[in-house]
Amino acid sequence: MVHFTAEEKNAITTTWGKVNVEETGGEALGRLLVVYPWTQRFFDSFGNLSSASAILGNPKVKAHGKKVLTSFGDAVKNLDNLKATFSKLSELHCDKLHVDPENFRLLGNILVICLAEHFGKDFTPEVQAAWQKLVAGVATALAHKYH
Amino acid sequence: MFSAEERSHIVQIWNYLSGHEAIFGTELLQRLFTVYPSTKSYFPPLIPGLELTQMQNHGEQILMAVGVAVDNMYDLRTALSGLADLHAYSLRVEPTNFHFLIHCFQVMLASHLQSEYTAEMHAAWDKFLTNVAVVLTEKYH
Repeated sequence: MVHFTAEEKNAITTTWGKVNVEETGGEALGRLLVVYPWTQRFFDSFGNLSSASAILGNPKVKAHGKKVLTSFGDAVKNLDNLKATFSKLSELHCDKLHVDPENFRLLGNILVICLAEHFGKDFTPEVQAAWQKLVAGVATALAHKYH
Repeated sequence: MFSAEERSHIVQIWNYLSGHEAIFGTELLQRLFTVYPSTKSYFPPLIPGLELTQMQNHGEQILMAVGVAVDNMYDLRTALSGLADLHAYSLRVEPTNFHFLIHCFQVMLASHLQSEYTAEMHAAWDKFLTNVAVVLTEKYH
C-alpha cells in the first residue's frame, strides 16, 4: 500500500486543484499516442491518428483523455485507498480491454510531463516525486486484479 | 534513423540546453535522485554541504555527453563507443535506470519550455535519448 506524507498529499491536491481535466486529459492521452506510437493499438476505432496534429486534434482522443483523467481524480480523493478505488477498473482493463499494465506506467509518466509543462518551475523535484508516487500507485492499483 | 523533422527538433532542443550544461545537468540529477533515490547507488556518496558542487560537476559531464550525441546523431555507435565501454565494463548501470534518467530529462524540459514543448519535440527527444541509451547498453552482454 502506498503511504503519502502530509507534504506529498498537499502537493498533489494543490496541483490537482489547478488542473483543467478536460484539456490535460486530452493532451496526456494524445502525447502517449504520439510519443509511443505502438499504444495506438488500443484505439483502432478512433479514426485519424496519422500525425501528431491529427492525434492531438482528434475529438475521440480528447473525449477519452478527459474520461481517463476524470477517473484519475478519484485517485486524488482516495490517496489512502487506491486499490479499492480502482478495483472495478482493474477488472475492466484486464478482462475486457486487455491492456498490458506497462501502459499505465507509460501514461502516468506522460501525465507527469504534462503537469510539468503546465506548472513550469513550480513543478519542483519534490512535487514531481509526489506525483510519481501517485501515478505509480494508480498503475499498481489498476494492475492489481489482473489474472 | 531520424527524419529531417526529428533532427530539427533535436537540434532545437540542444540549442536551448547548450552553454548551460552545468545548470541543466544539476537539475537533471536533482530530479533523478529525488524521484528515484535508488539511482544514487551509481554515484559517489553525496557529501553534506558539497552536494550541489558534486551534482554540478557530474550533471555537466552528462549533458556534455548528450551534446556529443546530438552532434553525431547519425553515428552514435562510433561517437559513444568509449562511453559504451565505460557503462558496460565499469559503471554497469542497470538498464532500467536509463528510462528514469530519460523521463526526468523530459520533465525538466517540459517545466522549462512549457507550451513551447510540443508533442513533436517531446517525441523526437524521446526517440533520440532512447537510441543513446540503446548504444550505451549495447556492449552489456
